[in-house]
Amino acid sequence: MSLTPQRSRAGRFAALAAVASLALVGCTTTAGESTGEDAGPIAKEDIVLVASVINTTNPYFIANIEGAEALAEELDLPLEIVDSEGSSQTEISKIQAILAQGKKVVMFVNTVASSDTPTIVDAVKRAGGYVSIWWNKPDEFEPWDQGDNFVAFQKHPGIESGRCNAQAIGDALGGKGNVVMFPGVADSTTSQTRVVGFKAEMEENYPDIKILEEQPSNWDPVLANQNARDLIAKYGDEIDGVWSADDGMQLGALQAFEDAGLLEQVKFASDGLYPDTVKLMQEGYGDDAIVGETFHRGYMASAIGLYTAYLAATGEIDPSELPKEKRTSFFDIKCVTPDTLDEYAQYDEPGAPAAFVKQLIENGPWDTEPATLVGGGGPEVLD
Amino acid sequence: MAQRNQTLDRPVGIDTTAIRVREHSIERRARFRSASEPLGLLIALVILLIVFSLLNDRFLTVGNAQNILTQASIPLIVAVGATLVILLGSIDLSVEGVMGAAGMTWILLTANSRGGEGIGLWAWVIALGVALVLGLVNGLIFTALKVPSFIVTLGMWYVGLGFATILYGRDLFPRLTDPALTGWTSKLTLGLPNAFWVALLVIALGIAVVRYTRVGRVALAVGNSETIARSAGLPAFRVKVAVFAIAAVLSGLGGILATIQLDIGSPNVGSGLLFVVIPAVVIGGTNLGGGKGGILRTVLGVFLLTVLNNGLILSGVDTSWQSAVSGAILVTAIVFAAWSQRDRLGVAK
Repeated sequence: MSLTPQRSRAGRFAALAAVASLALVGCTTTAGESTGEDAGPIAKEDIVLVASVINTTNPYFIANIEGAEALAEELDLPLEIVDSEGSSQTEISKIQAILAQGKKVVMFVNTVASSDTPTIVDAVKRAGGYVSIWWNKPDEFEPWDQGDNFVAFQKHPGIESGRCNAQAIGDALGGKGNVVMFPGVADSTTSQTRVVGFKAEMEENYPDIKILEEQPSNWDPVLANQNARDLIAKYGDEIDGVWSADDGMQLGALQAFEDAGLLEQVKFASDGLYPDTVKLMQEGYGDDAIVGETFHRGYMASAIGLYTAYLAATGEIDPSELPKEKRTSFFDIKCVTPDTLDEYAQYDEPGAPAAFVKQLIENGPWDTEPATLVGGGGPEVLD
Repeated sequence: MAQRNQTLDRPVGIDTTAIRVREHSIERRARFRSASEPLGLLIALVILLIVFSLLNDRFLTVGNAQNILTQASIPLIVAVGATLVILLGSIDLSVEGVMGAAGMTWILLTANSRGGEGIGLWAWVIALGVALVLGLVNGLIFTALKVPSFIVTLGMWYVGLGFATILYGRDLFPRLTDPALTGWTSKLTLGLPNAFWVALLVIALGIAVVRYTRVGRVALAVGNSETIARSAGLPAFRVKVAVFAIAAVLSGLGGILATIQLDIGSPNVGSGLLFVVIPAVVIGGTNLGGGKGGILRTVLGVFLLTVLNNGLILSGVDTSWQSAVSGAILVTAIVFAAWSQRDRLGVAK
């Protein structure tokens, strides 16, 4: 309301700051050109690792930071963390500020929005750095069209994640019942692909399961909690299963069902197997309410992303010669049920990120268990 | 004309009947106006209730009423503080940060899954104390250093959020382990959710403060005209600091209740609330320029927004349409409800 003029003033200020930092980037580019981005590999001692995350309170992003720290320690390189505070503006201006310092960056970015990718890649390219983007980018913006500085786009397949969750709920309900869904941000490709996979699996293999409704909840546990309360008011005990696009939202939804006294009769599945979720599953929370999860770890993502970019920066790999699936890559996720939960405990022990990084350096970015390369080479499509 | 001259020519006294009649009608109109403004809003709310109950027969059930009351409780508590600040002619943007800071402080000092037995009632005292400090800093910088409240509180939003993030650290989400606390906000006492009882208490206290205390009256006077208030010797400085402190404590209380409602501690426990609370206050008819308005109107504003959100979900409006439809209904409701005061909203600049 009356806040608008003030906000737009703040926006203008931010824009000015962004322009200023862009100008600075421009300066370093000119300086950089003499040493040259094409003048061969960067000497290891000149490299600074940078990991950019969406925020620093979500367990997944915290794990991103842990992976980057483990790799920095192992490679004995300095590391800078960018906290985007949930905002594309903040993300881009902080990254540009780091690039403006004139360092040779090797960067992992978990982008806030798909549309941030071209801006970030362009800035990194002009500063002669190397970047791997995780999770979100526009479909048509492929690394091989952008040159070697955009080393790779990497993610875990969303369709597979959705299918895995659908199987867990479908089986737990005996193939019959009603499900509500809590996607993340509506226009996030990560969320969209998970939704597509979930629905496809239900349609193909569990025709008697009905999807009552989807309420996008912005990856926000608070909003998921509110939306779950409203859907409980709307459908009451008709709801048999609840799917959330990530564990954070699932935690919010679980509490709403617990408050309504419905927890024991509803089955839940979601993506991420956060350590909090592991604990709930081990406790048998809500009469084993959580029936399915997918396993992947934030520290693996950031370590794989950073290490791929690092190999390109030091000339150990030549991005332009890599096959397409090593530029746009999908890494394995594991389907977890309460029965197989224990197999994954090793990845949450103290020191697990460091152990993973050691394996990663030994086996390379595409062959390290449990996150091996399983596909890619273009946008994810329903098989 | 001739008659009037004759009257004036009379040697004895002046007939003030005409003036009194006019005063009386002005007073009556003012009284009617002050009653009709909330009435318009109330009618808008009733229309929403009727439409939504026609669209879904689950809307007008006891269960959903309790759900709406639970969901309205935290915005209500925070909005009482926000109303006081806006009555001053200031604004408090720090609510989400203060909620995060108080909520995280509280849960870490209460029995939770990260360990520790908790320190019981002291956790409330300390968490609300954290909120109080943030509020006092807001108030003192605003008054003593004369920095606009918009800027001060915007800064304190991030200070609060940062403090909460530091407390959060890198460990697991802290979860409440005391079964008496889990789900306490939505448990019912005498048919109403506990959180709503707290909200009712806060509303009653807020109304009492505005009507019967010096703080409330001075705040209104300052909102009307600070120069006049000061020249009349009113303690504007102290009252402004007090109002910011009260608002922050209420945000802190909201943060604690939101933490209980979610069952887990998160720095972002207040996320999105600012843009429920401030519109609710303005929709209620409290003048953003200060001096006019009240807490009961804010209550109506909060309910209008909560019912709208709940009703759209229950009536099955497609999710991609929800925000557009919600915005359109809101604007229509406000045009209708606030027609009589459109010149007085003070936001139409």
